[in-house]
Amino acid sequence: MRVSFVTVRKRLFFILAAGAAAVVILLLRLAFVQFSMGERLTELAQDSWSRDVPFEAERGDILDRDKEVLAGNVSAPSVLAAPQQIEEPEQAAARLAEVLGAPEDKVHDWLTENQSLVRLSPEGRKINKEKASKVRSLGIEGIYIAEDSRRHYPKGSYLSHVLGFAGIDNQGLTGLEKYYDEQLSGERGNVSFFSDAKGQKLENMAEVYEKPEPGKDLMLTIDADVQSIIERELDAAEALYQPDGALAIAMDPDSGEILGMSSRPDFNPENFRDVPPEVYNQNKPVWSQYEPGSTFKIITLAAALEENMVDLENDHFNDPGYIEVSGTKLHCWKKGGHGEQTYLEVVQNSCNPGFVAMGEKLGKDILFDYIDQFGFGKETGIDLQGEGTGILFDPENVGPLELATTSFGQGVSVTPIQQVTAVAAAVNGGTLYRPFIGKKWIDPESGKVISSRTPKAKEKVISEETSKKVRYALEHVVAKGTGRGAFVDGWRIGGKTGTAQKAVDGKYLENNHIVSFIGFAPADDPEIVVYTAIDNPKDTLQFGGVVAAPIVGTIISDSLSVMGVEKRTNQVEKDKQWDDETLVETPDVTGKSLKQLHQAYYPFQIEKEGEGNIVAAQSPQPGEKIKEGGVIRLYLDDKSTSSD
Amino acid sequence: MKKHVQPVDKILLCSLCCLLIIGLLMVYSAGTALGEDAMQDPYYFLKRQFLFMAAGLAAMVVLSRTDYRLWQRWSPVLLIGCFILLVLVLIPGIGMVRGGARSWIGVGAFSIQPSEFMKLGMIMYLAFYLTRHQKRITSFTKGLLPVLILIFAAFGLIMMQPDLGTGAVMTGTCFVLLFAAGARIRHFFILGGAGAVGLAALIVSAPYRLQRITSFLDPWSDPLGTGFQIIQSLYAVGPGGLFGLGFGGSRQKYYYLPEPQTDFIFAILAEETGFIGAGFVLVLFGVFLWRGLAAAMTVPDMFGALLASGICGMIFIQVLINVGVVTGLFPVTGITLPFLSYGGSSLTLLLAAGGILLNITKHRTSYD
Repeated sequence: MRVSFVTVRKRLFFILAAGAAAVVILLLRLAFVQFSMGERLTELAQDSWSRDVPFEAERGDILDRDKEVLAGNVSAPSVLAAPQQIEEPEQAAARLAEVLGAPEDKVHDWLTENQSLVRLSPEGRKINKEKASKVRSLGIEGIYIAEDSRRHYPKGSYLSHVLGFAGIDNQGLTGLEKYYDEQLSGERGNVSFFSDAKGQKLENMAEVYEKPEPGKDLMLTIDADVQSIIERELDAAEALYQPDGALAIAMDPDSGEILGMSSRPDFNPENFRDVPPEVYNQNKPVWSQYEPGSTFKIITLAAALEENMVDLENDHFNDPGYIEVSGTKLHCWKKGGHGEQTYLEVVQNSCNPGFVAMGEKLGKDILFDYIDQFGFGKETGIDLQGEGTGILFDPENVGPLELATTSFGQGVSVTPIQQVTAVAAAVNGGTLYRPFIGKKWIDPESGKVISSRTPKAKEKVISEETSKKVRYALEHVVAKGTGRGAFVDGWRIGGKTGTAQKAVDGKYLENNHIVSFIGFAPADDPEIVVYTAIDNPKDTLQFGGVVAAPIVGTIISDSLSVMGVEKRTNQVEKDKQWDDETLVETPDVTGKSLKQLHQAYYPFQIEKEGEGNIVAAQSPQPGEKIKEGGVIRLYLDDKSTSSD
Repeated sequence: MKKHVQPVDKILLCSLCCLLIIGLLMVYSAGTALGEDAMQDPYYFLKRQFLFMAAGLAAMVVLSRTDYRLWQRWSPVLLIGCFILLVLVLIPGIGMVRGGARSWIGVGAFSIQPSEFMKLGMIMYLAFYLTRHQKRITSFTKGLLPVLILIFAAFGLIMMQPDLGTGAVMTGTCFVLLFAAGARIRHFFILGGAGAVGLAALIVSAPYRLQRITSFLDPWSDPLGTGFQIIQSLYAVGPGGLFGLGFGGSRQKYYYLPEPQTDFIFAILAEETGFIGAGFVLVLFGVFLWRGLAAAMTVPDMFGALLASGICGMIFIQVLINVGVVTGLFPVTGITLPFLSYGGSSLTLLLAAGGILLNITKHRTSYD
């Protein structure tokens, strides 16, 4: 027994040692959990204890270049419920339902939901301040009012396509709101209270307020005054012509800054659901692409001048009314042609054969090289959603005919913004800028500029000298040529008309054109480039010089006034003054089709009466003299009554 | 060698008292939320624990003055009594179901857990049996096998409740006793090997068991299921840090951690008093083990030595498993922390066992 007892003692000693080792192991494990894992566990535990009442970040404002608010916020608090903290849900639901205007049983469901935090959406979502203060004054324990805001566009449909809109969660959905959503939206903050597992507030732990990071204010290059002028003129054009659509862009040619941009049909961003999605999804000035027509001739002209292919004053071109290319006769819009002209007159008259000649002198490689350099066939890189690229002939497939039509703007497809950017380069001294709208990011609290965007010159396309010649030629177009509808005394407006044929399924539509005008001023040092296009204007001759040129003239002159640009004195004088009583002979248009009328160019306003495509009679009669720009009334019929 | 009747071991008594005081404080702190919520009385658990402790301390005083050798004679009777209770508790109408197990017997507040008593009854009987049949212990068939059959009979009855935790503690304690009594190491290896084979067979037959066992290794793989209690326990222990959140500062006791006043009281202790407090309690248990085993080593008779080591083993195994669970070392079993956790049967029984242990310390011999 004694011997055995020694064994027992040995065993007991071993047990003691093992026990001591176990205590040490437990202490090490405890230390590991509390020190090494402690921080991570604390974070996780805090997440499990805390219930966040979200604090939405104020979305940044969108301002014009003079800090006028174009998109802002109005306070629209949201109601949240912490069901575990609500003592008498029945009573609370009844009172809350009355204030929110929601069914009582629905509110009761919210207040008894097995969730730590319930959003009372939609009735309690983004309500107005009055309602919120009523909810607050109910004083129901467990009902929280979270600061929130709703997007507000103080000017309604103004600049709507560019601004776009933000959704209920303040997320940018279209336009600049989407393009710059990240910077505009900021970061959500929250008030966290700590709660037990049943959702009741832990009184001994303070609430933690994590401040939301407000979104930055975006200052645009848009000039609210210029934009207002554009909106006004498009409204007027819409009322006058009932077009299928209309658009206008104004740009500062020396930087690529967009001063104004608008299109019709438009929409109110706060009620965007009132219009079909294609209306708010398509920002036409950057999205649409179509055949530019004559405005494209500016590119051909600039290239020919830069390459010294033509001398505006001294080289001549004889236009018999058509030009034959590879056996195909390409007609000038003027029946019978313009006859012998200088190249300056070719430009003034927008003479198609003359431009074909210029294109032929350049050759396809050089002309297409210029078209590429002027930025066609690719995105301009403007900071807006959904920009189109346009379509050019594949240089491989360009034969003499394609070269010829391209020279006067047919058979190519371009976007409005491409044209504005390219023409700006042609008249600003030859520098192609990347157009942009977002100018500066401003700290909403301090008002300090966080970052500002500087103009980005992409290419030097033509020389200063050439650019000067282009301006000279285009000023003559407005003063003496097809663009005279845009003439406004003292502003030295230069520009070019365009009448684009709309192709549908590979065929050109009859009597359905996009008429356009691109203008700039003052011609000695352009401060603004304006492009306007009216899609299928009704009850008028569909011609850019008639419909679009006066609109651009008004936009430019009014804009330069508000921009503080001085009037010039040394302008190219208009051939006939606006208020001249000079009379012109009325041409004989009886028996002509509307298409022919359209292809011709008459400096008159047309009033149509009757149904049909053929002019049966006219008033005044042929040969009678009327004031230039006066009204000719046409009586239409399907059958020709004259034996023309 | 002289033999004296000495005063009780003061260090042992002191560590025990410290644990009891800390236990009362923690039962109060951990139980406030639940007590307030369920009984409209934040002191509910404290009050009851105080009563249990009073009863337990009375038992302890009486037993510390009762010569432990008395139990040698009574142990077979006590064991039979425990077996009868274990059978009775399984009968619906007599045994009461609480927490999914039919573990309780008695009326209302005066109910007991027979399995708790079986732990002590088994320790006494084994100490008696192994003392009497000491020579046979080295034989597998004649010494070990009858004991093993007895242990597994008790274990089987406990598992029918079912109460795996208590069954495991009892079995573990029995093995400590067998080891202390001098059973052959070789036999332990054989038993261990058989156990491993059995376990492997269970796992192969139903692989989900392995997943359940290993889920504690990565509780986040099933945070709302098997990992839930471990995660909630770690959320208490981890943020405690060095000094803790302060007495009463626990957040996990607010319904995050189930049973904060019983099985997870150590987690609340670690949360409120940090490494300092929780570590101190572990050290107290270490001291308790040391003094208890010291008594076992110095008591002159085999029965006393085995009884003391059995009691120490039982208490320490519970500490090991409980703290292991709380700190994520073991899968959740449902074992209380001796002297600290809320619970009448457990506390009174442990204090009674403590009284027996204290009595044994009176009989320690001193060597010159």
